[in-house]
Amino acid sequence: MITLNHYLMVSAALFAIGLAGVVVRRNILIVFMCLEMMLSAGNLALVAFSRFRVTDGLPDYSAQALVFFTITVAAAEVAVGLAIIVALYRAKHSVDVEAASKMQG
Amino acid sequence: MEQPMIPLIVLMLPLLSALIILLLHRSLGGASALISIGSSLICLVASIALLGSPDKTYPLFTFIHFSDALNFNIGALINQQSKGMLFVVTFVGFLVHLYSHGYMKDDAARPRYFGSLSMFMFSMTGIVLADNLAMMFIFWELVGLSSYLLIGHWFQKPSACNAANKAFMTNRIGDFGFMIGILLLFSMNAGDLSFEGLKSSFTNGGGAADWPVKHVRDAYPWMITAAALCIFMGAVGKSAQVPLHVWLPDAMEGPTPVSALIHAATMVAAGVYMLVRCSFLIAASPFAGDVITAVGAVTALLAALMATQQNDIKRILAYSTLSQLGYMIMAVGMGANAEGMFHLYTHAFFKALLFLGSGSVIHATHHNQEMDKLGGLWKKMPITGTTFFIGSLALAGIPPLAGFWSKDEILVTLDKSWGAWALLLLGFAAVMTAFYTTRLFIRTFMGKPMDQDVYDHTHESGFVMTGPLIFLALLAIFSGFIIFHDVGTALGFPGGITEFIFLPEEGPHKYHIDWAFAAASLGIGIVGVFAGAFMYWGNRKDRSTQLATWNPGLYQLIKNKFYFDDLYQAGIDRGVLGFSYIVSWFDRYVVNDTGIDGSAQVTGFSGGVLKHLQTGRVPNYAMAIALGVVGLAIAGLVVRG
Repeated sequence: MITLNHYLMVSAALFAIGLAGVVVRRNILIVFMCLEMMLSAGNLALVAFSRFRVTDGLPDYSAQALVFFTITVAAAEVAVGLAIIVALYRAKHSVDVEAASKMQG
Repeated sequence: MEQPMIPLIVLMLPLLSALIILLLHRSLGGASALISIGSSLICLVASIALLGSPDKTYPLFTFIHFSDALNFNIGALINQQSKGMLFVVTFVGFLVHLYSHGYMKDDAARPRYFGSLSMFMFSMTGIVLADNLAMMFIFWELVGLSSYLLIGHWFQKPSACNAANKAFMTNRIGDFGFMIGILLLFSMNAGDLSFEGLKSSFTNGGGAADWPVKHVRDAYPWMITAAALCIFMGAVGKSAQVPLHVWLPDAMEGPTPVSALIHAATMVAAGVYMLVRCSFLIAASPFAGDVITAVGAVTALLAALMATQQNDIKRILAYSTLSQLGYMIMAVGMGANAEGMFHLYTHAFFKALLFLGSGSVIHATHHNQEMDKLGGLWKKMPITGTTFFIGSLALAGIPPLAGFWSKDEILVTLDKSWGAWALLLLGFAAVMTAFYTTRLFIRTFMGKPMDQDVYDHTHESGFVMTGPLIFLALLAIFSGFIIFHDVGTALGFPGGITEFIFLPEEGPHKYHIDWAFAAASLGIGIVGVFAGAFMYWGNRKDRSTQLATWNPGLYQLIKNKFYFDDLYQAGIDRGVLGFSYIVSWFDRYVVNDTGIDGSAQVTGFSGGVLKHLQTGRVPNYAMAIALGVVGLAIAGLVVRG
């Protein structure tokens, strides 16, 4: 029997893996993908909550609505993020995060 | 003419003249003197017209309107006191204006001088007419300002600048007390500061209007004494009583007509006049009355002694003024308002005469006022010499001149209320008065010239200057007679002098001369004159330096004016400067270095440390965000429990 906890554990694992990737990896594309993975971990947790919170035989749709919203925002974020990566690559000729070492302005 | 017009003219015309002169002085030039003299002449005529008018209060306009219950009004309280005082002020004022036309004719800053003089006339008539204490205080400050401007007229001289500052600041000390006194009365009398309102509250028992005063009198009797003493403090400053007398001798740095008008005849007498207006307050507090009498007596005595060892003719007259003001204050302290005001009037005439006479000497000798270089001037300046002689006799208290009658009056009152020992002390002061007056006259006008060069260049002043001298000399001779009932009746004032002093419900009483007392008083004057003549006649060094050889300590004490100035200087050097040193240390090291610079340094230092957190490398920021998320999660768990 698969319970809510199983879903949440998978979600937490996904989130931790994503976070670790963001912090450790140096290729900015990998970092970006890890970021997406963290978002997906959040989405997974939300749909799991939706599925397991049943009232009158129906799931809680507000959580699912929130997931769609997150996906939309993520799409926008990808567009902006990739543009930044392209710009960074043009400036530094590298996709290494260490290349962006002047972030203090 | 409608009645309220006259007080309004007397009050506002000098202001108008001052404004015109001070605003247009560049284009007016010499005409400014004529405007000023003209306005003072009109004021004189108006005040003479006022002499016969009935007693009344004229509300002129509202100065500040807070509510129906709280207003500061400008009004004119016309009664015997203000009529007499107004006449003296405008009369001496007009003569001094006229005289200034001659005295200041070579001065480049004449428009400024006459503008300030008109300003002074405005302020002084304001004090005289004031029907409430708030208005009096406003004009009280204005005369202080005009006095400051006129003392510092020759501001190119550092000594004149210093004297002006000293006069202003010393006056401010007194004025501060005056203000506190006014506020005390304000609270006691439910915000009514009019003299009539205050007077009825203080004198009438019962009635609804006077409940606060009655309550204060029953519950806090000391408060009435405190108010009286605070009000008196204003008079101490303005009338230059010990210990705030130090400004008046220095004020002689101003032009001599100013010394005559402001620092002898009128402004310094304003303190006496103000106390007479507040006499209900002194009557309500016998202790304050005693203090006032004592201060006046001490001033009369010390100043008379100080005058004996000065060499500057104006300074001698200044100390003499202090001494005579002491007599007046003393009289007022004893409740003898009529006697005090009488002396104020006669003194205004003969002291203005003496000052203008000394101004004539100074003008004629090209600004020489040290007696060491004068002497023998009577032959050269017959009119000035004769009028000065008359003024000197009046000051020395020789009958039948004006000073004798009024001083005698005060001494009689002193004898009645304080007894023999006080009379003895003030009698001694009277001897000293006659002594220094004789010394002044002999060393200036008699004997051989001390400096032949100065003597040769001396000439009698023109009529515009000697004319006022003659007028004042006539008054110095005759103004004393008005105390006699028959003289008063003949002049149309049936009450004699008291006509001008007492309010209708108090008097007037008749004056009865005490011939034995008068004879003693005359004896005192003659002793003083002979002592002065003995020491200074014929310029004999062996006699004139007797005091210095007989008792050097006493000589130095008097010569150095009882060390008041040195004491204040030491007080300022040690006390004020010492304290300000501490304050400046606190400001520099605590406020500036620690408070301002310290906080800036802390910010700078912490910025220097914290800037290392900003590495600019993306993984570091990512790590910080991750740790932040973890931290928030842990914090959430902990808070949730």
